Amino acid sequence: MESRLWLRALYARMWVRVMSVFNEPLWIAVNIGFPFFSSVGLGLLYSSTGLRSFVGFAILGGIMISFWGNVLWSMASQFYWDKQVGLFEIYLTSPAPMTAILIGMSLGGVVNTAPSAVLVAVAGWLFFAPPLSPSWLAVGLTFALTLASLYAMGMMLSSLYLAYGREAESINEALHEPVSLISGVYFPSIGNFSPFPFSVQVFASLIPLTIGMDALRRALFFSQGLSSIYLHLIVLSMR
Amino acid sequence: MLSHEPEVRVEVQNLRREFDSKERKVVALNGVSLKVREGEIFGVLGPNGAGKTTLIRILSTLLLPTSGVARVMGFDVASEPEKVRAVINMASGAERAGYDYISARGNLWFFSQLYGLPSEVAKARIKALSQLLGLDDYLDRKFYMLSTGYRQRVTIARAFINDPKIVFLDEPTIGLDVMTAMSIREFLIKEARENGRTIFLATHNMAEVDTICNRVAIIDRGRILTSDTPTNLKRSLGAPALVMEVSPLPVNLAFLGAVEGVKGFTTSVDEERGLARVQVVVESEECVRRILAGVPASGMRLVSSWRQQTTLEEVFVSLVGRGFVEREHEVGE
Repeated sequence: MESRLWLRALYARMWVRVMSVFNEPLWIAVNIGFPFFSSVGLGLLYSSTGLRSFVGFAILGGIMISFWGNVLWSMASQFYWDKQVGLFEIYLTSPAPMTAILIGMSLGGVVNTAPSAVLVAVAGWLFFAPPLSPSWLAVGLTFALTLASLYAMGMMLSSLYLAYGREAESINEALHEPVSLISGVYFPSIGNFSPFPFSVQVFASLIPLTIGMDALRRALFFSQGLSSIYLHLIVLSMR
Repeated sequence: MLSHEPEVRVEVQNLRREFDSKERKVVALNGVSLKVREGEIFGVLGPNGAGKTTLIRILSTLLLPTSGVARVMGFDVASEPEKVRAVINMASGAERAGYDYISARGNLWFFSQLYGLPSEVAKARIKALSQLLGLDDYLDRKFYMLSTGYRQRVTIARAFINDPKIVFLDEPTIGLDVMTAMSIREFLIKEARENGRTIFLATHNMAEVDTICNRVAIIDRGRILTSDTPTNLKRSLGAPALVMEVSPLPVNLAFLGAVEGVKGFTTSVDEERGLARVQVVVESEECVRRILAGVPASGMRLVSSWRQQTTLEEVFVSLVGRGFVEREHEVGE
C-alpha cells in the first residue's frame, strides 16, 4: 500500500509537470530557444576562429544548460510558488511522501527538457559535425549520474528556497550565470585547459555540473572510458 | 442520517499555541477545548486574528501545538500525523490551488493520486463530485480559464476527493457570489447529512454559520467564549437587539456604558446621512427604555429606532462587548 501510494504520487507529480509544459506551446519554444541559439552562436564563433574541437563543447553545453536551467527555474523555486498558491499545504496534509513528490518533479523536469536537449544535439551535429571519439558506456553513465546529481541539488534547493520566500527569483538569477560560467558549460573550467586559477577550479568542482561536464567531454570527445573517469563518477554519485 | 450514536472525531483539550515575533510572544490559541462528532458541521466563528486558522492548521497537521492535546479520529496530531492525514482533507477560500495549464479534471485526478486512489476510483469520484457541485461542463477547461467561483468549486471537490472522514474548511465561500456560495453550502450540508462526514468550518461569516452549522464555537483572542447550536446561542440573549440611528456626528455613546442591562454595542457611521447606527445588545425591555431616554440627555437626536432579530453577531457583542469589525481593529493595533 505504501509503495503503491509512493508510485502513484510520483507518477502524478511527473504527469502534472509534463502536461503543464506541453499544454503551453510558448513554454516549449522558450525552453528550446535559449540553449539552441546560445549553442549555435558559440558553435559559429568556435568554427570561424578555427577551434573546431571546441564546437562539440558548445553543443554539449547547450544540451546540459537546458537541464541546469530546468533545475533552477522549475525545480528549485517550485515549492516556493506552490506555497504561494496553497499547493504546498495540500502536499503536506496529504499522506503522499515528499520524496515521491520531489522525484516526480525531477522526472517531469527531465522529460520536459529532453526535447530541447535532443534538438540542440541533432541540429548541432547536423550543422557543425564536430569530431567525436565517444566511449558510449561512459557517456551514458556520466549523463545519467550528472542529471541525478543536478536534480538532487534541485530538491535540496527547493527546500532552501522555501525559507527565502520572495528572494527565490533573485537567487535564481544570481546563481544562473555565475554557475554556468565557472562550471564550464561551454568550455573546460577544470584541468589543464581551464582559464581559471586553481582556487577557482577547486570551488567550481563543488558544483556537480562542473564534474559532470568535464567527465562528459572526456568520454565524448577523448575516448576516455570508465577506468579514466571513475573518480568523476564517484564524486557525482556522492552528490 | 446516522443510525448509531455519532462517534467523536475531533477532540481538543487545553490546546495552546504561541508564536514568537521580534517584539513579543503572540498567543494564538489559549486553552482551547472542544469535541466534534461524526456528521456534524461545526463552525468556529470569530473575527480575523481570533485563532481560527491556527486551530485548523494544528488539526490538519500543518502546525504543532505548543501544549495541550488534539486528536483526530483518535490519532494524536503531533505524534501520529501520517494517520491523521489519511482520513482528512482541507481547503481554504484564500487558496488558488491548482495547476493553471492543467484541466480541472486533470487537477482533481492529480490530487486524488496524493491519496493513492486507483485511477478508476478517482475518475468515478471526480464524476460524482462534479455533478454535485455543478462542474460537469467545466471539467475539461484549463484551471486558469475558470472563474473564481468555478475554481472554488474545484477546490471544494478536491477537499472531498479522497472520501475523507473530516474536512477542514477555512473561509470556503469568501469572495464568492451569492449563488456559488449557496451551492457550496448545500453541498456541505448534503455531505454531512448523507455521508456522515464531519465538516470543521472556520469562518467570520455569521450568516453562513447560522445557515449550515449544527454547532458553533465563538472564538476571540485564542479562547473559545461559548459553544452551542446557533439557535441556543441566539436564544440565550433573551431580548432582541435595539438598533438606533442617532445624530449629529460625532456621537457620544459614553452613557451606554452606564446603563444597566447593556451587554455591548457596535457602531457604524453613515457619513452621507450624517448619522451613526448603533446596535445595542440588551438584557431586557426595561433596558431599552433607559437607553432611549438617555439619548437626548447625552445631546444627541434619535432619528429612528427599531428592534432586530438576534444574530450571532449580537451573541459575539454580548460576550466581548464589541463587534467583529471593532475587535479586528483592536487586534490590528
